[in-house]
Amino acid sequence: MEDYKFLFKVVLVGNAGVGKTCLVRRFTQGLFPPGQGATIGVDFMIKTVEVENEKVKLFIWDTAGQERFRSITQSYYRSAHALILVYDISCQPTFDCLPDWLREIEEYASNKVLRILVGNKIDREDREIPTHVGEDFAQRHGMYFLETSAKEAENVERLFMEIAAELMEDKIQARSKELPRYETNTTSINGKTTSIGDTSNCGCSRLS
Amino acid sequence: MMDLSPNQDNLTEILDRLSEDEIKIEKNLKNILSRQCHVEAKLQNISKVLPNVVVIRTEGEKFCNMIRHTNELAENVSAKVRQLDLARSRVYECQRRVNDILDLQLCSEGVAMALCNEDYEQGAAHVHRYLSMDQQLLERTAEDILMDHTNVSSSLITLQQAALQLRTVVTHKFDEAVKSEDLASVERFFKIFPLLGMHIEGLKKFCSYLCTKLQETAQKNLKAALEIKSNDKRASVIFSDTMTLLFEGIARIVEIHQPIIETYYGPGRLLMTISILQKECDRQVKKIIAEFMKHRCISKKVQIVNDYVRKPSSERADPKEFDLLLGEITIMHSRAELYIRFLKRRVKVNLINEFKSMINNSDLAHGMQELLGAYLALERYFLEESVNKALGMDTLDQDQQTSSMVDDVFFIVQKCIRRSMSSWSIDGVCAVVNMACGILEGEFANRLRNRLRQGYPAGYLDLAQAYSTLQTSIQHGRLQTSDTELARLMFLAYLNNTDVSIEYVETLCKSLSSEIDATFPNMQNKERGKIDSCLSGLKGVMSILRAVNDYGLEQLRVSAVKPRVTPWVDAFLSVDHHINEDDLLRYETEEPFVQTLIMNLEGLLQNFKGTLTTSNYDALIGLLTAEVTARLEKVVLKSTFNRAGGLILDKEIRSLASYLAAVTSWSVRDKFARLTQIATILSVEKIEELADYCGADAIAWRLTPAEVRRIASMRIDFRPEDVKRLKL
Repeated sequence: MEDYKFLFKVVLVGNAGVGKTCLVRRFTQGLFPPGQGATIGVDFMIKTVEVENEKVKLFIWDTAGQERFRSITQSYYRSAHALILVYDISCQPTFDCLPDWLREIEEYASNKVLRILVGNKIDREDREIPTHVGEDFAQRHGMYFLETSAKEAENVERLFMEIAAELMEDKIQARSKELPRYETNTTSINGKTTSIGDTSNCGCSRLS
Repeated sequence: MMDLSPNQDNLTEILDRLSEDEIKIEKNLKNILSRQCHVEAKLQNISKVLPNVVVIRTEGEKFCNMIRHTNELAENVSAKVRQLDLARSRVYECQRRVNDILDLQLCSEGVAMALCNEDYEQGAAHVHRYLSMDQQLLERTAEDILMDHTNVSSSLITLQQAALQLRTVVTHKFDEAVKSEDLASVERFFKIFPLLGMHIEGLKKFCSYLCTKLQETAQKNLKAALEIKSNDKRASVIFSDTMTLLFEGIARIVEIHQPIIETYYGPGRLLMTISILQKECDRQVKKIIAEFMKHRCISKKVQIVNDYVRKPSSERADPKEFDLLLGEITIMHSRAELYIRFLKRRVKVNLINEFKSMINNSDLAHGMQELLGAYLALERYFLEESVNKALGMDTLDQDQQTSSMVDDVFFIVQKCIRRSMSSWSIDGVCAVVNMACGILEGEFANRLRNRLRQGYPAGYLDLAQAYSTLQTSIQHGRLQTSDTELARLMFLAYLNNTDVSIEYVETLCKSLSSEIDATFPNMQNKERGKIDSCLSGLKGVMSILRAVNDYGLEQLRVSAVKPRVTPWVDAFLSVDHHINEDDLLRYETEEPFVQTLIMNLEGLLQNFKGTLTTSNYDALIGLLTAEVTARLEKVVLKSTFNRAGGLILDKEIRSLASYLAAVTSWSVRDKFARLTQIATILSVEKIEELADYCGADAIAWRLTPAEVRRIASMRIDFRPEDVKRLKL
């Protein structure tokens, strides 16, 4: 047996050029490769992290943003535990496409999937989408929200670590639910979605 | 002495002291005198050595001078050597210049002659010799000797003009040769370009010539393709054929011209050739793809398929229609892969990255990605629709353990994955494997689960009758699903379907793994990881199917096993277990309770044997055993025994265990452990023996001390106080 207790699949989606590959590289290798070419099909990385002394293995699927790869990338939605939808805070069109991406997610992903909205490139001076606009969008669609900079390594580690922690917690709850003797209190255990609406300043509870 | 004032009383004492001192001083003096000789000898020695020191000093100075001198000499010598070297290199340079000048004259005469004779190779060779000279040096030389001779500068001018002239002439001749399709001349002048320092122009011209050839052939092929009759046997793959011809054409060009290019133009120049040819390849591929898209109505088909996914009520296509088309796309894709691999092998290792980025940005790559996208959209539809169709047309044959859907579904899944492999695209294979996992986990597993959820109808069971009912229903063209027998048969078939599916997925996973290794040798780690991760999705399918299988078996237990086993075992309660010696003898030969039970179990199992797959049948026996032993334990605990009764119980339990052990390949011993131990307690002769059985060292002992006491108290011949006193 391999040395980990949990295994989760995380899939990154979003328009071409928003920095999905850079986020993954920053997290898995600690690099920011400038002049990154467009991803072809899907790219695949593995990283094992530790959450509350448990080894959690993350399979990270970095998908190509370009339209012609859509058939390939769609096939990865179904088995994803978490979907990171990325836009570029300095590029309005990447934000405008978010509803289309959500439609794709609705269509192909499991309804239990953990969804995170990420505004990348906060190191840039020419911001076009204010933080609260991203937050609002995330809140309206029941998603977690975080702004990151792959270049400055800002919030990248946190993004993936919070996802790992969140998925681990869900898994533990799901496991305890499977045992019939806990059936009496299943109504109170209702997964992550309940905590989203009632947060005050941000579209996310644990990611804030 | 001073401490004593001289007076008469102490004079003697003072004298004594003075004489004492004197003696002491004398002794000291003697001592010093005795060393005089030694000191004198030493002084003498020193005075002897003194002249030597002077000598050494002068010698040392001399030596020092000598070294200084040598040093000067050496420096002088090396300065001379340097001068000599300089002189020598000047001589060499001079010689070269002289040589160059001589050659220059020769060349200038030669080139004029060669031009006169139209011997371009010779002329170009002269120009090449001239170009290999240091141009600046030549001009300086010409200036230096301007006073004496005008020869050099005139040769220079001649050659410069000749070079210019040759360039024009060769370019012109090359163009002419191209125009007149004179391949021999084309190659002849192609080889002359690099001699005239026209590497890039030469390659460009030659490649554009090759490109026109490619274009002509490709256009001709495409035209022929479009004119092909629909009943031609290549009609369904005509576009992949056309594309294959294009790739083969380019590959042939590269193959043939690689030696000339690398010999005359230098080793690294092949990449430039390939890049230029690739531009033409891109143009032609684009045309072929455009025609393909148009004639095969790809966009419309993809549109229909995508609409159907979103709104299942919309227009739908027959998945079978896509079969040939899907095959054709995968062939195109694999040919492109093959072509790229071919080129990659030819490119020098240090230029591989440049080559890769050139290919990745080519229209060929983009076109193939578009095609793969269309392929996957259509393949998904084909897979899902064919599977749904197979589920819809599910039928059960009397002589089959499974219904038709299992074989059909796995045939389709395997077909699709194999087809994706024939595209030679790792991303394509991964995507289709993902889709297959999706449908197997989704529709397929749901279908199995839903059927099993309906449960196994209880009641009298006669499968032979059920089959005849099924047959008559089919013959009369109406399937009455309300028929209990039919429902039973279907339930068992679906239980088998689930079991067989697990096996199929496992086999599929294994065979895919080795087929992928064969299709993609030298896979990079990252790609390997991708494939493995996607294949592990199939393992997820297996665990889901296992859960469905367990669920089905549980259904079977609840309706077919438990209700029937309970009354059979409960019959134990109506048997008297206080047996006298005579009865004991009778029981030696017959075991009325357990024989009836075994007969009943046999009857029950008979119905399932042959109908269930081996592993389902084994699982059934497993749960039957669990049910029987649990129930039997319950009724035993409700009874009382004397020793003979206990002995008989022990014997009966052994018979039951050996019967059940014989009908399955699994071990049932474990399930009988508690019962056997209960029987042991009930059949001991003296209560004291119990301490030996259930002592601390009895590892396999399953019963707790409290249970042992409770069981022991069921023996009517044991006194309760003895039972209480038992030390366990």
